[in-house]
Amino acid sequence: MRSSRFAKSGLGIPYALFLLLFVVAPLFVLLYYAFTNGQGQFTVQNLAAFFTSPNTIGTLAYSFALAVVTTCVCVLLAYPIAYILARSNMRHKSVILVAFVMPMWINFTLRITALKEILTVLEGNLALHPFLNSVIGMTYDFLPFMILPMYTTLMKLDTSLIEAAGDLGANPVQTFLKVTLPLSVPGIISGITMVFLPSMTNYVVLDMLYNSTYIMGSLIGSYFASYDWHNGSMIALILLLIILIFTLFTNKYSDEDEGRGGALI
Amino acid sequence: MRNKMLKRVTAVAAATMMTFLAMVPGTKITHAQGNDDVIKLRVCNWEEYIDLGAWDEEERMELENGAEIFGENSMVDDFTEWYYETYGKRVEVEYSCFGTNEDLYNQLTLGDVYDLVCPSDYMIMKLMAEKKLVPFSEDFYDTDNPDNYYVRGVSDYIKDTFDENEIGGESWSKYAAGYMWGVTGVLYNPEKMTEEEASTWDVFLNDKFKRQVTIKDNVRDSYFAALGSYRKDELMDESLRNAPDYQERLMQIMNDVDSDTIENVEDILQDMQGNVYSFETDSGKADMISGKVVANYQWSGDAVYAMDQAEEDDFYLDFAVPEESTNLWFDGWVMLQSGIGQDAEKQQAAEAFVNFVSRPDNAVRNMYYIGYTSVISGGDDDTVYDYLKWNYEAEDDEEDTTEYPVGFFFCGDDSNEDYIMTVPEEQTRRQLFAQYPTQEVLQRSAVMQYFDDTANKEINQMWINVRCYNIEDVPVQIWIFVGVAIVLVIYITIRIRMSHYREKK
Repeated sequence: MRSSRFAKSGLGIPYALFLLLFVVAPLFVLLYYAFTNGQGQFTVQNLAAFFTSPNTIGTLAYSFALAVVTTCVCVLLAYPIAYILARSNMRHKSVILVAFVMPMWINFTLRITALKEILTVLEGNLALHPFLNSVIGMTYDFLPFMILPMYTTLMKLDTSLIEAAGDLGANPVQTFLKVTLPLSVPGIISGITMVFLPSMTNYVVLDMLYNSTYIMGSLIGSYFASYDWHNGSMIALILLLIILIFTLFTNKYSDEDEGRGGALI
Repeated sequence: MRNKMLKRVTAVAAATMMTFLAMVPGTKITHAQGNDDVIKLRVCNWEEYIDLGAWDEEERMELENGAEIFGENSMVDDFTEWYYETYGKRVEVEYSCFGTNEDLYNQLTLGDVYDLVCPSDYMIMKLMAEKKLVPFSEDFYDTDNPDNYYVRGVSDYIKDTFDENEIGGESWSKYAAGYMWGVTGVLYNPEKMTEEEASTWDVFLNDKFKRQVTIKDNVRDSYFAALGSYRKDELMDESLRNAPDYQERLMQIMNDVDSDTIENVEDILQDMQGNVYSFETDSGKADMISGKVVANYQWSGDAVYAMDQAEEDDFYLDFAVPEESTNLWFDGWVMLQSGIGQDAEKQQAAEAFVNFVSRPDNAVRNMYYIGYTSVISGGDDDTVYDYLKWNYEAEDDEEDTTEYPVGFFFCGDDSNEDYIMTVPEEQTRRQLFAQYPTQEVLQRSAVMQYFDDTANKEINQMWINVRCYNIEDVPVQIWIFVGVAIVLVIYITIRIRMSHYREKK
């Protein structure tokens, strides 16, 4: 008994080590740099600098706007697809699903390069619509992450509930609004978490699509490139906190509505 | 220091992290011999910056002076073999690569150890100023030793530049040996832009080419261009051009990091940002070839590469060097204190490595492979000049030819008859011009110094101001829109809560 219990907990050791070495230790390094200056003295100057500069706040707002718009576009595009796929009686559902997920199997820089050419044909000069292009690029990149959780939730949805709603006199629109949509909220939330967070920081997409405005990721990179690890770490830390708050918030939301959790990625 | 311990702990943690990260993009090739008495040399160079061998048989070159150039094995392998034959000792080279000067510097600070690295001019100066380098030994400068290919072959022009530039009272040549060099300029499509339009840093402000030109996503290069544009009048003034101390004054102007100047440069960069297609890191060459942009800021070596690539599709690009001034840059070999230390044997191997890559035939191999220009002119050896002739000299039956002097690089004077080539006319603005700019161009070139901590901070802040979205620029409509959206969201949330509450009741 005893030894078997030990063996079970022992299975966690590799992961714990990994966590300690590559997640916890770097976090402390980050904390150290964020709250010190070049001379190694404690300071909150870096924190103050972030919130007093119109440029860093502007970057936060720009990243946020980009992420919000991308997420909204993804939700609006993904939900109908997930709904149709999950609720229809199509025979080759899984084949179609794979078709939507397939782009994920191709390296994303390749995908964006292809997208760049398509957009150039459509728009002529990419530099004229940097924000729009970034949204399109990120949507293209992250859409599968939105479809999948929505699809899973909708698949698991108990059809008898919908039948019951119909029996009780609800029309299809009412059924959708009062039954299907509320029950698929956990899937939507989980999709949002998976799309919103990376689209705030993934500056490679912007770079490749010629959007020269910095977002949070590029701002951190720019500080590191000029050996200013202190301000860079502080911004990384602030971003971490924002993400943490966001995750807690969405988690609470999905728990409350459904009690299924599962949004924490 | 009180927090020394903490610093060490964080350094170790950070180093662990960095090693992990370094495993991803780095290409580490170990040339093992597997003995205890082998010298282990850790070399870190730019990516794709040395001949890796495996040439096709048809690439074999036979030059006028009889030299035969062929890259069968990688140069690093050839070095270990040559070293054993020459010095009777085994050397094992651990060769790795870095992506940017800043990456290399950060790696060094975090505890990665190398013996020999090849950063650019300003990073060499920074490392020199921080006393992180080991000076070359006296033997290295001995021109009587036939194996000292570097001192015997380096161009006088480059040697003078290395001798004249000083950091902390010591000349560069004491700590650094050149590898590749060049200038910065504008690569342009001659069908869309004239040579005159391209020959100024103002090209990035020219609204005739709005959203059709790219500039570098790199604060130093962009700063140089904007500074050239800001002080154009002064730089173009004849009285400055003809002044006896033109060189010194030019250096001063192009290294001006006054707060005032930085502010003005920021304004110009803002204007450039409003006019250019993008700030690019690596896409510029491909975008020139595909025709997305009509001109881009380019280093001479990359310009050569882009011109070569374009020609394969029968598409021709030209290179221009701005009239105001151009940035003369170098990449050079330096030995690190942290790696070499007091190990004389290792230092000798490192110096031998520099000499080996400076051997004229090896310099040609590298130039052929990577497209940049070697600092080696060859001294008494004609291999490099013959390679130039092999590469660029006009065929006998060619009609539109012109004379192009390269004497300034090879012997310090463009008027030297021995170094005047007859080349197809277009080469005066193509690859040859990019690889070996004329004396006139080089005279208006300036080396860009490293920024000290204060200037570095200020300039980085300036760069962030240019690149970031300023919250004060948000138009009123957007604020109103955001306000309405927030109110709406709150309203809907309350409505939903209320209805839930009522249902539960």
